[in-house]
Parts: sequence; structure tokens; C-alpha cells
Amino acid sequence: MLTIIKHRKLWATCMLGLFLALSVMLPLVSTMALAEEAQPQAAAAAAVEKGKDVYYKTEGPVSGAGWTEMNENSYPSYSLPYPLSENRVIIWVLAQQHLYFGSFVLAVPIFCMVIELVGLLTRDKVMAKKYDHLAYSFVKISLTAYSVTAILGGLLLFSFITFYPAFFSYIAGLFRPVMHIYALLFLAESGTLYIYYYGWDKMNHGLLKWVHATMGVLLNVFGSVLMMLANSWAAFMMSPAGVDEKGRFLGNMWHLLHTALWNPINVHRIIGNMVFGGGVVGAYAAYKFLSAKTDEDRAYYDWMGYISMFLAVGSLIPLPFAGYWLMREVYGYRQQMGITLMGGLLAWLFIIQAVLIGALFFATDYYLFAGMDRMKGAERYAKSIKYVLFLTAAAFLVWLTPHTLIITPQELKAMGGQQHPVVGNFGVMSAKNGAVNTMLMTTIIAFIIYQRANKQITVKWATWGNAAIVAMFTVALVNNWWVAIYGYYIPANVRVGLSVPQVMGTLTCLFVGTGINIAMMRGAKDMGPVLWGKISVRSQYALFVLGVSFTWLMGLMGYIRSSVRLFWHVMEIGRDNSPWAFTHTIGFAANVMTFNVVLFWTLTLFVFWLGEIGTKVAKAAHAPAHQPAIAGGSK
Amino acid sequence: MATFWRPGMMPIQLLLTIGVTFLIFVIGHTFIKKTFGRGLPMLAQGALTWLAAFTIFKFVISPPIPSSLLYIYMGLITLVIGLFISANEVSWTESKKPIVDTLIGATPLHRGVRAVAFIALPLGFGWGTYTSIAPPKNFPEPPELRTVHPAPPQAIKVQDKQFTLQTSKNPFRVDVKGEYLDVGKEKEFFASNPFDPNAEGYVKYVKEGGEVFFRNCHFCHGDNLDGRGMFAFAFRPIPANLADPGTIAQLQETFVFWRISKGGMNAPREINPWDSAMPPWEEHLKIDDIWKVALFEYWHTEFFPRTWD
Ligand code: HEC
Repeated sequence: MLTIIKHRKLWATCMLGLFLALSVMLPLVSTMALAEEAQPQAAAAAAVEKGKDVYYKTEGPVSGAGWTEMNENSYPSYSLPYPLSENRVIIWVLAQQHLYFGSFVLAVPIFCMVIELVGLLTRDKVMAKKYDHLAYSFVKISLTAYSVTAILGGLLLFSFITFYPAFFSYIAGLFRPVMHIYALLFLAESGTLYIYYYGWDKMNHGLLKWVHATMGVLLNVFGSVLMMLANSWAAFMMSPAGVDEKGRFLGNMWHLLHTALWNPINVHRIIGNMVFGGGVVGAYAAYKFLSAKTDEDRAYYDWMGYISMFLAVGSLIPLPFAGYWLMREVYGYRQQMGITLMGGLLAWLFIIQAVLIGALFFATDYYLFAGMDRMKGAERYAKSIKYVLFLTAAAFLVWLTPHTLIITPQELKAMGGQQHPVVGNFGVMSAKNGAVNTMLMTTIIAFIIYQRANKQITVKWATWGNAAIVAMFTVALVNNWWVAIYGYYIPANVRVGLSVPQVMGTLTCLFVGTGINIAMMRGAKDMGPVLWGKISVRSQYALFVLGVSFTWLMGLMGYIRSSVRLFWHVMEIGRDNSPWAFTHTIGFAANVMTFNVVLFWTLTLFVFWLGEIGTKVAKAAHAPAHQPAIAGGSK
Repeated sequence: MATFWRPGMMPIQLLLTIGVTFLIFVIGHTFIKKTFGRGLPMLAQGALTWLAAFTIFKFVISPPIPSSLLYIYMGLITLVIGLFISANEVSWTESKKPIVDTLIGATPLHRGVRAVAFIALPLGFGWGTYTSIAPPKNFPEPPELRTVHPAPPQAIKVQDKQFTLQTSKNPFRVDVKGEYLDVGKEKEFFASNPFDPNAEGYVKYVKEGGEVFFRNCHFCHGDNLDGRGMFAFAFRPIPANLADPGTIAQLQETFVFWRISKGGMNAPREINPWDSAMPPWEEHLKIDDIWKVALFEYWHTEFFPRTWD
């Protein structure tokens, strides 16, 4: 009897999956069919005007009216006090909030998927259950966030329509089918998410659990495609393609989507979202840790904070590389845009970015070192902390030295020029590459130390293993520094190629270094369990710093990416003719970003709190029957 | 101090100085521990580290770094020391003990220190605030946030000719056969003698560019291209140091072409055009000469123009 029910559930799920897949496929197929139809028609009517793609340089039949020059009437605004009188500021706040919540709800399913899989693959029953529960509490947080995202999305859409009607109708005209697919995908994502969440307990055994995990994957596929579609609009505004120089659509939907910056932005955003999601969940865990009343809760949330931090920082490591790729494509697309970003008008924001990234590395190292306090045997490694911190600090010093300094005229005279002969050299790319790779490597070293803090290594080849790890890091670091210096003596295009060995060194250290370390842990004697919950309160603030820095960083970089278009709505096609088509001062921009960060965390607190009420009600209802099987965390 | 610094080695010298100082600290401290049985208290270690860093950044680096940068550096050092002290429970408890003791007045001595501190601190802050906002005797000019390398326009017009900066190429960057020399390939000519009467192509144009330079530019940019020409210090900011890796080495050849043609006064606002003495050379030189002098500048400094592929 039970098996039949089980099978029924299985069938139901499969049908649902099929249905969802179809609902996605239909619009796709229909647009493809439309595109194909367009071809013969165009051929038949030879009179159809042809246009040349601004990016791909291909020819295509012109359709649509293209960009119409805007005037001040194209931006109906409310007569509110400044800065709200600028439509763009309202859009800025709404878009940023939508994006924050959006990336949070996109990132959390990625973690859920990973953690659920880890739980499934773990042979240790207790741990498996613990992981499963963790994954579940992750989705739980994201569920409310999901509806907040939708609400904010709606607000944003209405604001676009009312504040930028002409602009919006242009974009909507171009991306019409994409917008529909987007909406449908949203539906599919919601459906999957609800089943994923509400079916968690029911689909908890055998094959059904695997179906459940598959739905987790599906959820991520929907989410990622959704985000990529939304990215295509932003990417089109920065680096348009698929239209002629008058902004008229040329019949190739793919060109419209696949602009110069689309994929770099996609990759950068997916990774960025994961870092961000980890940061938010980490902050949640810290918050719960600090407010926990029992040792058991403290232990659980300490562990949760650790896992979130691990996921966030694990995703952080590839992020600079994705960033380099994006910047390279930006420079390749328009030199001007690259210089405005990195050396010109917006360069100071990049210094703020450097500071925040440094804060991330320091917070991570700090958290790991503080975490070693809850492990017996960690004293053995206490000595090495200072070296790790020193290297990180020295690298950070180079990393945040600006290319353009703030100088008083007297200082300028004393220095004898805009470029300082000593530290000026730290302001250029080659030095930055060396610095960031150094910081990545020291963070990896901190992880390795953390991993072995409470372990007595027993493998026979321990000496060899240690020697290999030390040698690898030494070689990688020395190579990294040498390349950084050598980079001054070679052309930029060769230098870009040279950063490959640097990156390879870092990645080798990451994978092989930690790999060897894990292998060495095999059969290692525990010098004592990890005393989850016995971590200093200060370390939890490091988690907050991580979360807040990520939020700030995202707001900052989003602003930079968007404002680099300067006075263009659509780069070199559609001019921004609004009364406020100037770049905000750095101070003003920083204030709006900070406002956004504060608003986001306030809303997030609200979301956390909502989750809390839910749990309390559930706990009250289940109290006698439902004794949690997840025992704290200490074995 | 100035004699310590060797051009070309300076950044490495600085990092080595910092590294060696750190090692001296570590070794010295181990030594103290071995001889006296116990090391310095954490707080003292932190204070010493801070002072050492301050000495290096304030007094050892020459010429002095701008105060904005000094603040950034010292802020960082303070933060790192704080992190180091508080990272583990033992050192945290040990380091905060004297502070907490003072705050709660654990002994009469602590109470005394507390009384002094609580009077001195507000006074100190008051004095600091006063000195930072009171009008000084001779007004210094305020610090400037000037962008030295602004974003270039998409295209420029020089003497009625249109140049797209993204794609234009230096017409004189050619080998003997007149084929375009990709950036990097000119390296083989760095050692060539431009005065060789038989020089062809690249090397010949370098010489012609050099003539342009020494007729027009070296008064300001110096005969070593290091921005220290005989007129240099009459200007503020002083002419660009083209031999520094932070100037032409960071720029596309077309960017340099643009800057030479338009000079300071026709540059974008971020650069503070009114601040720059660089003349707009399109009014005095032929287009070809501008390209040639750019070629010469890269040849002489042995830098490569930036490319984006
Ligand atoms: C009157 C003095 C003077 C003369 C003569 C002069 N320059 Fe300049 N040049 C300057 C100053 C001052 C700057 C720096 C401007 C600034 O910081 O914005 C500069 C900047 C430059 C730059 C830009 C470097 C950068 O990093 O952006 C180039 C290239 C340059 N000069 C080339 C030349 C060439 C070539 C000539 C001769 C044809 C020349 N200069 C003659 C004063 C001069």
C-alpha cells in the first residue's frame, strides 16, 4: 500500500516536471518558429529595408521604429524634494532591493542543492540528517524572501513604466518574447520552489528523495536562466547588439541576447550571488547564535555559520577571475568605458571596492582563527597566524594603493609629480594581480591550518605531504611575485597572458594543496571534537562584516556597472536626455548605496523574524511528538 | 633617506623593508622569550608594530607619501593589529585586562590612570578638533581628487582629420618593409642606433620623433623623459613623468596621441584642464610629428603601449 502511494507521488512529480518543462519549451519553440518564418518573408519582399548590426556587423531586415530621441517630457516625475525628484534615484533603490533579494533567492537554492546532495551522499546517518535539516532551513529563509523579490520586481516594473515610459516601451518592444519567457519561467520557478519546500518531509526517503534533489537542480536551472534573461537587458544597454545604429531590431533574437558583455556578466553574477547568499545566511546564523538561549542552539548556529562562511568564501575565490574577465571584455568593447571605470571618473569607487574586498579576506581569516579556539590542538598552529596575517596585510597594502592619489598641492610638489616613485608602482594592474593572488593564497593557507587544527596526522607520508604543501605554496607565491614584477617590463597584452600562470598557481594551491591536506587527514587522530558553540562572540561579528561587506560591494559594483554608460541609456544608440543626465558625486552615490544596504538588512531582519514566528508556531504545535533528532552538533 | 632608494627598485625595496622589519620583530621576540622566559605583552607588541610601521611610512619612504595615503595605511595596520590581538581568547583576555582594569579602577594606580585619562582624552579630542578646523596661518590649498588619465573620447578630430581612438594605429610603427609592427615586436629595435644613417622604418621614425621631442618637449618633460625638464618645476602639476610605469605604459598609443594633440586645456573636466600646462600640440606640430614623437617616447622608455586583445 505504502509503495503505491509512494509511486503515485513519484508519478505526480514526474508529470509535474514534464508539465513545467513543456511550459518552458512552448514559448521557446514558438519564438524559434517565428524567427524562421521571418526569413522567407523577408526574402519575398525585397523592398524590406536592411540594417547593419552595430556589433556583429551582419545585415538583417529592419523591424520596429528603433530609438526615438527623448526629451525632458519622456521622464514624467513627481514633484518630490531632491533627490526623489530624480526618477533614476527611485529606480536605483528599487532595482537594488529587487536585485538583493533576487540574488539571495537565486543563491540559496544553489546551496540547498549542494547541501542536500552532501547529505544524500554522507554515510554517517547523524551528519546526513543534520545536513538535510540545514538545507531545509536554508530554503525556509528564502521562501519569504522569494515573495519579497516578486513584490519588489512588480514595484520596479511599474516604476519603469511610469518613470521611463518611452525607454521602457523601446526595450519591451525589442525584448518582447524574452519578457514573456521570463514571466513563464518565473511561474515555473515558483511552482518548483513550493513543491521543493512543502514536499521536503513527504519526499524524504528512497527514490523520492532523489526526485526531490533533482527538483533542487531544476530550481537552479530555472533560476539561472531567469537571471540570464534579465542580465541580457542590462548587458544590451551597456553593449548593444542585434540592432542597427538607429536601434532598430534586425530579426536576430540571439544577437540581441548575446551581446559583448552578456556572458561575462552572467558568470560574474552567478558567482557573486553565491558569495552574497552565503554571506546573508552566515549573518542569519550569527544573529541566531548571538540570540540563542541554549547550548544546543548555539552549537547548531555556530555550525551553520561555519558552513555558510565556507560556501561564501569558496565562491569568493573564483570571483576576482570572473571580474578580470568582465573588465577585459569591457576594455575590449570600448577602451573608453574601461578607463572611465578603472582610471577615470569612477576609479575612486574601485578603491572603495578594494577596501571592501580586503575586509572580506580579513574577516574570513579572522573567523577561521577565532574558530580554532574551539578546537583542541589548535595551539600548535597559533604561531603561524602572524605570518598569514602579515602576508595578507602586506598584499592588501599594495592592493589598496590607488593609481590616482588624493594630494594637496604642497604634497604634490614634495613628491615631484603625480606618480609617487615608490608607492606609485603599486597603483597598476601588475601589482594588483600579484596582491590579490597573494591574499587568495593566504586565505587558502588559513583554511588548511583550520582543517588540521584539531587533528593529529598519522599517515606515514606526513613529512612528505607537509613538504609538498609548503613547497607548492612557496613556488606559487614566488612565481606570483616574480610575474607581478616582470609584468612591468612587458606589453599589456602579454601581461594578460602572464596572469594565467599566476591564476594557475593559486588554483593549484587551492585544489591540490587542500587535496593533499584532506588526504593527510585520513585516519588522523582527533585531539578532541570541535566544540561547536564555543566560539567567541567577536567571530560572529566577523560574519556580519562578511555579510554587510558583500551587500555593500554588490551595491557599489552594480552602481559602477550601470553608471559607466554615462549619458547613454543604450550605449551609443539612445542618449539619456533626462534633466539629471550627469554622474552623481561619489559622496552622493555612496550615501544611496549605504541607504540601500541599511534598507536591505532591515527588510532581511523582517524576513528572518517572519521565519521565526513560523517556527515558533510549528514548535508549539509539534512540541510533544516532535523531538528533534538533530542533536546540537557535538558528537 | 633619499640615498637609500634606487630608481626602478623602489617598490621592491619598500616591501623588503617591511618584510625584514617584520622578521626582525619575530626573531627579536623569540630571543626575548628564550632569554627572559616570557615575551612582551600582546598590547606592547601591538604598539611596537604600530610604531615601526608608522616610522617606515612616515620617515623612511622618500619622497613622503601624501597624508591621505598615510591615513589609509595606518588605518589598515591598526586594524590588522586589532585582529591579531583579538583572534584568540588568551591574547584577547590578556590584552583587554589592563584596559578593563583601568575602566573599573581595579587598583588605586588604575584609578589614578583612569582619572588622568578621562581628563586628558576629552581635552585631546577637543584640541584635535580645534586644530583640524581652525583656520591655519597660511592657508594650504585643499587636496585635490584629480583624474590624471581621464577616459578618452570615442573619436577626435585633429587638423580636420578624424581618428577613431579604439582602432587607429600609429602609421610609423612599421618595420623596414612598411609592415605594421605589432606591439611587443618593436622590442628588437630597443637597442638599435637611431643615428645610423642607414636606419629604416621604425628606427628612422624614432629618430625623427626624437628630434621633435628635443625641439618641443624636453624643456618640460626632461631629457630623460622623467618629467624633470628645466621648466618643469614652474608648473603645477609638474609635467608627466613618462618614464614612470604609471603613465604612458598604462595607455594606448592612440590615447597618447590624443593627449599630445589636445593638451591639457582641451582635456575632459575630470583632469582639471585649468591645472595642466601641457600645450595642445595640434596647433604647432604636424599629425605625422605627433605620431612620431609618441613612437619615440615609447622607444626611449622601453615601455609598450597598452593593447586590449
Ligand atoms: C609647457 C610644458 C610642456 C611641454 C613643452 C610639453 N608638455 Fe607634455 N605635459 C606637460 C604637463 C604639465 C603634463 C601633465 C598634465 C597633467 O598631469 O594633466 C603633460 C603631459 C603629457 C602627456 C600625458 C602623459 C599621461 O600620463 O597622461 C604626454 C604624452 C605628453 N605630455 C607628451 C608631450 C610631448 C610629446 C610634448 C612635445 C611635443 C610635450 N608633452 C610637451 C607639460 C608639457
